[in-house]
Parts: sequence; structure tokens; C-alpha cells
Amino acid sequence: MLERIRAGSADDFAEIIRQHQARVFAILHRYERDIHKVEDLAQETFVKAWRALAQFDGRAPFEHWISRIAVRTALDHLQKQKRRQNEIGLSELGEDALDWLHSGDEKNELDARSAAELLNLAMRELSPADRVVITMQEIEGRSVKEICAVTGTSSVAVRVRAVRARAKLRKALEKLTNI
Amino acid sequence: MNQRKIEKLFAAARNEATPAPSEHFATDVVRAIGCEKQMPPAETFLLFDQLNLLFPRFAWVAAAMIVLGVATDFGLTATGIPNLSDGVSQVSAQWLLTPDGF
Repeated sequence: MLERIRAGSADDFAEIIRQHQARVFAILHRYERDIHKVEDLAQETFVKAWRALAQFDGRAPFEHWISRIAVRTALDHLQKQKRRQNEIGLSELGEDALDWLHSGDEKNELDARSAAELLNLAMRELSPADRVVITMQEIEGRSVKEICAVTGTSSVAVRVRAVRARAKLRKALEKLTNI
Repeated sequence: MNQRKIEKLFAAARNEATPAPSEHFATDVVRAIGCEKQMPPAETFLLFDQLNLLFPRFAWVAAAMIVLGVATDFGLTATGIPNLSDGVSQVSAQWLLTPDGF
């Protein structure tokens, strides 16, 4: 199928997109909450993949390759966003998240959506690279080796960044609690 | 905020449902790629190329301004109004270079 796509078959590429779009959307949604922006970023990811298809050698599964492109697209997006917005705003959180944040009771449960919104808000305090590492490790459950492959850094660098990013995230969450 | 609470936050966020792509997403992407294929390659922007492109216009504007200046001077002389050089001489003779001046 890849050979046919390289030869210009649009139908086959559409099929590849259908097979991997859910995965790409899932990755991008970790970094961007706005569904319209997620869709734009997903489109950008597949266009980049199409342009770079000649470089795909087939040694690793296509899913890993497209996931890497999606994370890099998200990283670029975060770097652009970072220049524009750097403030934490509680007004973007729902009541559930606010209650959970201020509650001292650890047994208090938080729904997935509110948790993701809260994390998204706190992670704005992190650099884009820190955010990618912490998201891949803590939310997506990726190994250090996988993070190294996506970020192009050494395992030591990933581990050091993860420790620092966790500390920064804790501070950001405490800051939110004290507002 | 303690570590256990942060872990709970991560655990809850892991379960968030992913938004589904629109029905025509794949078709839209393929269409976007099709448009890209048809677009001519972007040309490299070079300052000299831009200047070369604008040079004939600059030359014509400069020539038009010179002609306009000369024509105005002739016109003023013909109607008896002192031209620019006469005006400057007159001003300097009457005001600036008098014994009471500087």
C-alpha cells in the first residue's frame, strides 16, 4: 500500500488516514483542548507524513512513525502558543475541578474531563518540551526509550527533564490551589 | 498538593475520551494534499530580485519629478514670478547679508 501511496494513490492514503486518525487525535488532544485546533493539527500531521513518506523505511510500525510526527506537531504548536499565552486563568476551569482543587479530602473523585482540563491549565506553566515529556510519561504511559525516540534526546536528559517537569507541575498546581 | 493527589489527577486524565474526527476528515486531508501538489513551488525571496523588478518604475518616477521641476521653473520665469534661485538671492541680499544682519 505504501508503494501505491508513494506512486500518488490518494485513495490509499485516505485509507491510511482512516486507520490512524483516532490515534493522532488522541495524542494531539493531550496538548490542545480546542477540537477545531486539534483537527487542524491532525491535518498538519498527515500532510507532513505525506511529504516525508519517502523517508519512512518500514522498519518500525507506521503507527509509531505517525505518532512521532503528531507529537512533534504538538510541540511546534505549544511553542507558538507559549509566545502568546503564559498566564493561568481559573475562569477556564469548571466547578468540579475547582472544588477538587480546593478540597483537602483525597478520596474526592474527579472526572476525566475536569482532570484533563486542570492538568492542561497547570501545564501552561511548563516549557513545551517539559510538557511533552510529562504528558508522554504520566498520561500516555510511554517508556523513557519511546520518549527519547520522539524528542531526539538521551535517556538521561529525558529522566532529568521529567523530574524537573514534575516539580514545576506540582508548583503550578499549588499556585492554582492558592488563587 | 501532595504526590497522591497528583497521581490521582494523572489517573483521571488518562481516562478522558478522545474527540472523534469529523466524517470527512480523511477526504479533506487528501484534498488539501491535492491542492498542495498543484501549487507552484514557492520562489525564494531575494532583495535584488525585488529591486530589479521595481527599478523601471523608480526610474520613470525620478525622470517625471525632474521634468516637473524644470517645467515649473520655466513656467514661473515666463510669468514673471522670480524663480527659485532669484528668490534665494533676493532673500539673502535683503535680509541675511545686510550690514544690520549677521
